Amino acid sequence: MEPLFRPPAQAITPRIRTAVLCVGVGFLVLLLRLWYLQILEGDRYFTLSTNNRVRVRPVEAPRGFILDRNGKILVENRPTFDLYATPEDVTNPKDVAAALAEILGNPPREIEARLAEGRERPYQPLLLRKDLDEPMMVAVEERRLDLPGISLRVRPIRAYPSGGIAANLLGYVSEVNQTQLAREEYQDFRPGENIGQAGVERRYDAFIRGIDGGEQVEVDARGRALRLVSRIEPRSGSNIYLTIDKRIQDAAETAFAGKKGTVVAMNPTTGEILAMVSRPSYDPNLFAQRLSGEDWQRIATDPSHPLQNRAFQAQYPPGSIFKLMVAIAGLESGALTPETKFNCPGQFYLGNVKFDDWKKGGHGTLDLRGAIVNSCNVYFYQAGLRVGIEDIVKTAREFGLGEPPGLGLGDEAKGNLPDPQPRRRGQPGWSAGNTVVASIGQGLVVTSPMQLLAMVSAIATGGTIYRPWVVKKITSLSGEVLDEYEPEPVRQVPVKPETLAFIRQAMLGVVNEGTGTRAKVPGIPIGGKTGTAQVVRKGEGKGQADLKDHGWFVSFAPVDNPQIAVVVLVENGGFGGLVAAPVAKAVYEAAFGARQPFPRAGMGTTEAKEPEIGD
Amino acid sequence: MRGDTKAMFDRRLVTHFDWWFATTILAMALLGILTIYSSNALAISAFRRTLYLRQMTWVGIGVVALVAACLVSYRTLGRFAYVIFGLSLVLLVLVLVIGKAGLGAHRWIRVGGFAFQPSEFAKLGLVLFLARYFDDHRETLREPRTMLVPAALTTLCMLLVLKQPDLGTALLLLFIALSIMLLLGLDWRRLVPFAVGGAALAPLLWMLLKDYQRRRILVFLNPDLDPLGAGYHIAQSKIAVGSGGAFGKGWLAASQSQLNFLPLNHTDFIFAVLAEQWGFLGCLVVLLVYFYLITKGFQIARDCTDLFAAVLAAGVSAMLTIQVLINTAMVLGMMPVVGIPLPLLSYGGSSLLVTMLSLGLLLNIHMRRFMY
Repeated sequence: MEPLFRPPAQAITPRIRTAVLCVGVGFLVLLLRLWYLQILEGDRYFTLSTNNRVRVRPVEAPRGFILDRNGKILVENRPTFDLYATPEDVTNPKDVAAALAEILGNPPREIEARLAEGRERPYQPLLLRKDLDEPMMVAVEERRLDLPGISLRVRPIRAYPSGGIAANLLGYVSEVNQTQLAREEYQDFRPGENIGQAGVERRYDAFIRGIDGGEQVEVDARGRALRLVSRIEPRSGSNIYLTIDKRIQDAAETAFAGKKGTVVAMNPTTGEILAMVSRPSYDPNLFAQRLSGEDWQRIATDPSHPLQNRAFQAQYPPGSIFKLMVAIAGLESGALTPETKFNCPGQFYLGNVKFDDWKKGGHGTLDLRGAIVNSCNVYFYQAGLRVGIEDIVKTAREFGLGEPPGLGLGDEAKGNLPDPQPRRRGQPGWSAGNTVVASIGQGLVVTSPMQLLAMVSAIATGGTIYRPWVVKKITSLSGEVLDEYEPEPVRQVPVKPETLAFIRQAMLGVVNEGTGTRAKVPGIPIGGKTGTAQVVRKGEGKGQADLKDHGWFVSFAPVDNPQIAVVVLVENGGFGGLVAAPVAKAVYEAAFGARQPFPRAGMGTTEAKEPEIGD
Repeated sequence: MRGDTKAMFDRRLVTHFDWWFATTILAMALLGILTIYSSNALAISAFRRTLYLRQMTWVGIGVVALVAACLVSYRTLGRFAYVIFGLSLVLLVLVLVIGKAGLGAHRWIRVGGFAFQPSEFAKLGLVLFLARYFDDHRETLREPRTMLVPAALTTLCMLLVLKQPDLGTALLLLFIALSIMLLLGLDWRRLVPFAVGGAALAPLLWMLLKDYQRRRILVFLNPDLDPLGAGYHIAQSKIAVGSGGAFGKGWLAASQSQLNFLPLNHTDFIFAVLAEQWGFLGCLVVLLVYFYLITKGFQIARDCTDLFAAVLAAGVSAMLTIQVLINTAMVLGMMPVVGIPLPLLSYGGSSLLVTMLSLGLLLNIHMRRFMY
């Protein structure tokens, strides 16, 4: 580009004038419009802006229902009425407070103070009271003219027609809290809006919550609605069908009454969760209404952790259940055969250290099947040493222990498997004693109930592990299926079919004649394994309730064609065969429709002796 | 004479500096600060109440930018016009990739504590590019093929902006380019096939629009359609403007726009705040000021001796005109809601900066009109 003298840029000149003319016309049009709005219609708009006000009110969408696999309602909604005040429209707070005091029963000064709180935002409706009962509502309606600025609003809240069953699985709904509002993923939420906070309600909140609607209302100086300018209907959320079977869930809840711990029933061939109980639990209705600060504190800091879902968020030593891993590892590597025999005199000496069996006097000489059926500790001390800790841990890992099962409902306990290290400077290293203890599922071995359920399901199905899942399908309000889920095989455990067949038969023996006879249901072949996990070392804290052993029972049925697998964990319940097995029996009875009365004390004989220590 | 020319030029430049023009610009910027202050004076959030202070900072930076835009001859700037345009395109691509998502759009890039909008700078970049390109091809202006490259690059610019998504600025770019081409003598009849083609493509374009954009257009046609979203906006805006009456409600008395009824009252809808406070009289004055600035801009363009300056001046003026017309029309409910700020008055650093730079360039050209 070179500067040089040129005549004016004629290319552009002629049209500039036209351009300015157009601009002028444009501005003129604007001025005309302004004239219209401000001069001609000015009075009307002035009235609208001062005396009349237009309010926008969101209308909360009803959340979708949560149902069991057959359509029985587990969670639904009911209408509730809240009392609101719009401070700007409350022209005489003193009189209004006095009138409300009569209706609500609060002292007038308290109500006045609350109304005063809203003065910063005079156009924002202020919540006075949630969930009015009918007499109050009637009273408010009757005295409407004395209560300018006061209004009732209906909104849906959660209702639980089945009581609080499966509370930890279903979760609860409550207002978004301050901490959440400060985070980016909650940026679309208003304060006071509800959101699923745990369990299924939380995980599937996006589907369940629906889309809020709204109302644009013209109100006069007294807050009376003059005209509904427009209303957009809220869109209900989608319904969630769980894989849960309410019948089985009810049976599990009843059988587990008064206990702490968890029961989970699953279809081993698909991974569908049929029932899930976690105790202690909480009443979800408490959360549906606004929870007081003290109530929340009480629940959140309760040392028994009622909000925790013990099925997959808690972990415990598996106790004798782990013997199955030792057995399988041994059969696979050849270190053990079905004919392998060890003698059990009641105790075992490793060098100078004594390890006891739970049965005083011992079991005598047993083969592998006998050892499983009778849950002999001494047999497995020796078997574990022969198999070796590396193979045991390897097998356990293959069966999914040490990894979270992948339920997708929140944090999952990982459990723990030993990582045997040789002796090094400064470290004691792994010793034979550690192996002995690990062989009966104590020491460094820790599992969650879900993990053991997955493990026993794999045994039942011949080695296929499926991801556990709880949501079967999601439908719109009209029933149109939006999403349907399928079983997802996660892994095939590389184990010989003969090994698993042997184990299954041994587990059948546990229930028929072994330590698990309290789970026996006539007509249904059930395979199981009992376990009793020590909370403290032998001899310490004997008699203290919260330090009693945990009772386990894992099982599946029918053995020849497994449809259901069940895990029961009774915290501090004592012996697995005594406290956990009967719960599983109740589950199977409900599932297969057997009509057997619940076993009363003293009925029937069992082959196994009551375990005195751990089994 | 060479030795003396520098001093001579400096003095002559100063004498030829249009002080009225500059003062008017500054006055408008100050009015902007005052209006922003008044619009947020009753806001709940303390952050919003201090927004006018941020605008003051931006105005300060803007004044410096304005002076800087006058210092170097516009010819020197012209040498880098292509580079500057290329840079704008790069920034537009960058914002799509790393842009900070605000209000669901990728419009801002954060540098240090500041967020700036590449689409604003792209406007000036486009004008500079077109000015330089047409000057380079001044011999072949009459030939239709000269329009190809500008059309293509303008479209590219538009598409990048549309992706953000920023429909308003994209349309603005289109109108700026069209205005320049028309001013240069493009036969408006040639555009008819494009208009027809555009109308035929309208259903397809409709499909490409995002939900909220479609809603805005529909609501414009029938304001009762979406009373809670865009319809609410327009209704509240008209109430605010209309309630100002002939002389306005007065300083800080704009109840409608101050009390949360009018969202975005300090950015796109600042004119409504102004209208409510100062009424028809106030609006008239402000519109006259804009008219003055724009007309002056076109005058400068007409008196230019080289094509680059002429197109630059005309382009800047067109840019200002379209922004003022569209924004005001939107606030008055004559157009669907699009996100175009009002120059000098709306809150927003990038917009203010670009406007100041553009006006600075006008001053630049005007100062040096006797040199070339």
